[in-house]
Amino acid sequence: MGRKKREGKQGNAIEVRDVSIHYKLFDNITIRHSLFRKHKKEDVFEAVKHVSFSVKEGGILGIIGKNGSGKSTLLRSIAGVFSPNSGTIDLKGHSVALMALGIGFKNTLTGRENIILSGMLLGFTEKEMMDRLQNIIDFAEIGSFIDKPVSTYSSGMHSKLAFSITAMLETDIMLVDEVLSVGDEHFRLKSLAKMKELIEDKNRTVIIVSHSIDMLREMCDEVLWLHDGEIKEIGEPVEVLSHYAAFMTR
Amino acid sequence: MILLNLGMLMVPPIIIWYIHGHRQKDERSARKRIVWYAIWFLVVNGGSYAVSYARGVKGFSFRDMTLSYRVKYFTVGCILALLISFVILVKDRVILGVKRLVEDVHRFAIDMRKYFKYSVRLAKADLKTEVANSYLDWLWWLIEPFCMMLIYSFVYGVVFRTSEQYFTAFIFIGLTAWSFFQRNVSSSVNMVRYSKDVISRIYIPKYILLFSKMLVNGFKTLISFGIVGIMMIAYRVDITINILYIVPILIDLFLVSFAVGVVFMHYGVFVRDLSYIIDIVLQMLMFMTGTFYSLSNRVPAPYGEILEKVNPVAYLIAAMRDVLLYGKGASWLMLLVWAGISIIVLMLGISKIYRNENSYVKVV
Repeated sequence: MGRKKREGKQGNAIEVRDVSIHYKLFDNITIRHSLFRKHKKEDVFEAVKHVSFSVKEGGILGIIGKNGSGKSTLLRSIAGVFSPNSGTIDLKGHSVALMALGIGFKNTLTGRENIILSGMLLGFTEKEMMDRLQNIIDFAEIGSFIDKPVSTYSSGMHSKLAFSITAMLETDIMLVDEVLSVGDEHFRLKSLAKMKELIEDKNRTVIIVSHSIDMLREMCDEVLWLHDGEIKEIGEPVEVLSHYAAFMTR
Repeated sequence: MILLNLGMLMVPPIIIWYIHGHRQKDERSARKRIVWYAIWFLVVNGGSYAVSYARGVKGFSFRDMTLSYRVKYFTVGCILALLISFVILVKDRVILGVKRLVEDVHRFAIDMRKYFKYSVRLAKADLKTEVANSYLDWLWWLIEPFCMMLIYSFVYGVVFRTSEQYFTAFIFIGLTAWSFFQRNVSSSVNMVRYSKDVISRIYIPKYILLFSKMLVNGFKTLISFGIVGIMMIAYRVDITINILYIVPILIDLFLVSFAVGVVFMHYGVFVRDLSYIIDIVLQMLMFMTGTFYSLSNRVPAPYGEILEKVNPVAYLIAAMRDVLLYGKGASWLMLLVWAGISIIVLMLGISKIYRNENSYVKVV
């Protein structure tokens, strides 16, 4: 019911207004440094500069750009990991999950505990997670390892579990950071199919960060090209992507 | 002489008057300025007079006034004026700071409710893995403190011949309470860095991590207190109603540890070698907390009492021993004072974390 209502409205699911994010580059502060070094001016690195865009309900936005152009930073900010230094990000009260490699697992805990804990952080109750637990475990296909500490997992198992959690939780907004090929061939095909199913669901709003031009062209309604933290171009996938390809091979 | 009298009374208010006027960018009318000057004149001289009254000079006659009194009066007036102008200058920031603090406390209440279940679940999971990864399971939670107690009671009881009534239980209480405090503080320093995986993927109020860790430590501490109970029975300690004081005392201990932990948690993110300092300081504090001896009985006269008064953990340990072993009561006032101080520090720490947690992810 609720979903249908929202579909009818056709409003924006994500509104990003004039967002800037900067990093202060003070990596090695030790007491020796702060005592015996002259105070240097803090280096501020602007990862994202005055970016504004919006994504329609059920829309699929692709973000492309060269390495270090601020794509992942922007995505993490939308996921709420940290808030932007200026500007606002409005998710209109939708639930959001970030799907990225090496999702936040506590290494000492078992896979099963990690599933429940991740879900609770994403705003699900313990009971809801218990209901979904079996689905996630089945999808992840990591067998008896589910009751072993995550530190014993291979990198393939790690990402399979990470993928399954975000895929099976089905939040309103899904943020995908380069996780379109995980695990072995079998799981890769399966996850790609699941991904397509999730992305093509008309009720789900998706942002995909990727370097794969072909994939973005195939999947997205709109593509945003981020260059050095600024929007270089935003619009029709075919157009933006061909400009991007020309720019990169120049 | 008249000039001196006038100067003494008139000059200090000018300082505030000038600074205050400057702040308002001189948009005031001449009449208002005079009114303001009169106000500051009264405030400053009232203050100075109050000070001199409190110092014993009851009257105020210009005739038999010494020069040194005039100089003192003038100085007091200037200091007052500077203080007041300082308050005027930072007034907005002070108000803003208080406002923010209130906001943060409100947010803390909301977040605590929201993430409480999570932290309990995390604590349970942590305990479970600890059990799963060792051969003797949860027995370690009993064995470890028990062995520690044997070591310390050998060293202090047999080697150094310190002795108190119910010595083993005496040491055990000190050790248990201290290790609760020490574990929480030393783990808080690197907490954010060690939880990098979780916090770089999803938002979580960072102190929740510490809170969950404290639940884990708290659970172990309660087990240790179970052992204390057994000892009390073995020693045939006279049990009085005062034993109930242990509940507020433990709550106090929790609050104190949480407050100190939250503060160090914040600074631990930015200062990488803080953990070394903390370890040294904690080691030093352990000996000054009277874990193995009674501070007020062993340390020479004024110092023992002082150490027990300024160090909340020392006070709480002493109170626990009084309550559990010696059938004495604890002072409600001291318990409330320490709870109050802890809550204030805790709130300031929480506010600090809220203001800075954005950059944690970027630093670690």
